[in-house]
Amino acid sequence: MSDIRLEGVTKRYGTFAAADSVDLSVTQGEFVTILGPSGSGKTTLLSLIAGLNRPTSGRISIGGRDVTEATAQERNIGLVFQSYALFPHMTVLQNVLFPLGVRRIGGAEAGRLARDALKLVRLDGFEGRRPSQLSGGQQQRVALARAVVFKPDILLLDEPLGALDRKLREELQVELKQLQRSLGVTTILVTHDQEEALSLSDRIMVLDKGRVQQVAAPTEAYLKPANRFVAEFLGIANFVGLPDGRQGVIRPERVRLMAAGQGLPARVVEAIYLGQMVRYHLALEGNQSVVAAVPFLGAAHAPGERVSVSWESADVWPVT
Amino acid sequence: MNREAIGGSIWARRGVAAMGVFGLVFLTVPLAIVIPMSFSSARALTFPPPSLSLRWYETFFGDPRWMEAMWTSVLVAAISSAAALVLGGLAAYGLRRGSFKGRDWAEGNFMAPLIVPTIIVAIALYLALAKIGLLGSLLGLVVAHTLLNVPLVMMVLGVAIREFDQRIEQVAWSLGASWGYTMRKIVLPNLAPSVFAAWIFAFIGSFDEVIVTSFIAGKYETVPKKMFNELVLEVNPTITAVATLLIFFTVLALAAVAFILGRAGKLKQTLV
Repeated sequence: MSDIRLEGVTKRYGTFAAADSVDLSVTQGEFVTILGPSGSGKTTLLSLIAGLNRPTSGRISIGGRDVTEATAQERNIGLVFQSYALFPHMTVLQNVLFPLGVRRIGGAEAGRLARDALKLVRLDGFEGRRPSQLSGGQQQRVALARAVVFKPDILLLDEPLGALDRKLREELQVELKQLQRSLGVTTILVTHDQEEALSLSDRIMVLDKGRVQQVAAPTEAYLKPANRFVAEFLGIANFVGLPDGRQGVIRPERVRLMAAGQGLPARVVEAIYLGQMVRYHLALEGNQSVVAAVPFLGAAHAPGERVSVSWESADVWPVT
Repeated sequence: MNREAIGGSIWARRGVAAMGVFGLVFLTVPLAIVIPMSFSSARALTFPPPSLSLRWYETFFGDPRWMEAMWTSVLVAAISSAAALVLGGLAAYGLRRGSFKGRDWAEGNFMAPLIVPTIIVAIALYLALAKIGLLGSLLGLVVAHTLLNVPLVMMVLGVAIREFDQRIEQVAWSLGASWGYTMRKIVLPNLAPSVFAAWIFAFIGSFDEVIVTSFIAGKYETVPKKMFNELVLEVNPTITAVATLLIFFTVLALAAVAFILGRAGKLKQTLV
């Protein structure tokens, strides 16, 4: 259990900067997500923290110890990949015992620790199976158990749920969050899935082209994005003009939809039914488009229908 | 190969099948002649054999010069294939996993003995070994065969290493395992079938070699070199017995490779 500090971490490949002066400070026990589109440098950053790669410049420290030049072996980290990366020739139990064996922990104690870790991910009873005999979700649980069984200082997760289908992903998100909280292990997760980032993290770091765009709590990043990129990457963003001439962003849930004649006149272009919500794509005067998301309560507006919209000026966040 | 790759037409498929059968016949007819001839009772090479006997096998096993050639072949093949396995394996690992300047150049250099005409390799080795005083020595022969077989090993193991997810190794490192420990406990157990296949290919490659061996072996006789010399001097049916034995062991070894790779599900990836 340790804090993590990145100071000016840069990784260059030729003239291309995969990570460009990244600063980040993760406090002990915190869950931070690095969020960005593919090619944003998030996996590069994770491999630098894991010690699989060395930064061109900058410093990385874990638990107050400078590990910039330390190998992956010396960092005491738990690492989980999207592809599970289980040892195919070993059973579930042997996989989980591996980091203990490396640390010269054997016998009854190793057995107890491994069984505890498997119980934690609800896989007790699967000790003798091979990875090829498990489902994707089960394999990822084994990978998690293997990554936490030796009480690592930090846990690094590279798109751990990316290969799973939606329902399983949502289940495992909850489990992952509970596991992380009960262990209190400092965790960095890398993902391109904004929903996952918002639901799991204490804080989000949004990355684009190797540069940090914003580091903030999920609600803050969502409602008060630092710039246009963050606003558009985290969900749907409506851009509206502010009285002072600047642009502001407002989220679809904060747009009120009413019968025609009560606010700004609008025409329904498309109504998309999402279960609990209906998302309306609306055209305002001057061809401005706005998206509104309202709870579905039985009746919906049809495309072509005339309606009106309004919003609180306090819900509009100015962006550059 | 799947059917779509050849083309949907039934005539195209039949054409390919016919060519395949023709190729197979073309390759096996010589075997169908050599094998019966080795069991012939005739004094000279005749086909079909007038009657069957094992006299040429007796001649072969009873001749100390053949036995010595056999021993030299086995010794050179055993040492050079082991050396090629270690060197080729490390080279393949470094080339597949590493990213460094001149990687393609290095790979091309390693593969060269497979591509450059053997006669040129033979002359180059002749000159080089003469320069360092190893021409006509057993060590020189081992060095030459190692060099010839490294590309074979690299080809087989290169595919296997590329197929093996590097993140599995990275996880092992992150869990605290050293490079050597990861190699022993994680990489090698998973690559074992391919390592075995590579070793068999290298062994056969060395056992089979005649061109380079003729140039550099000096007084040492290997089985193929002696077969070639016998053919030149006198037409002796003993060589058909030797050939039959070689065919038998080669088929056995390749069947073992096919069986082990097939069980590991790796046959297609390695051979295609």
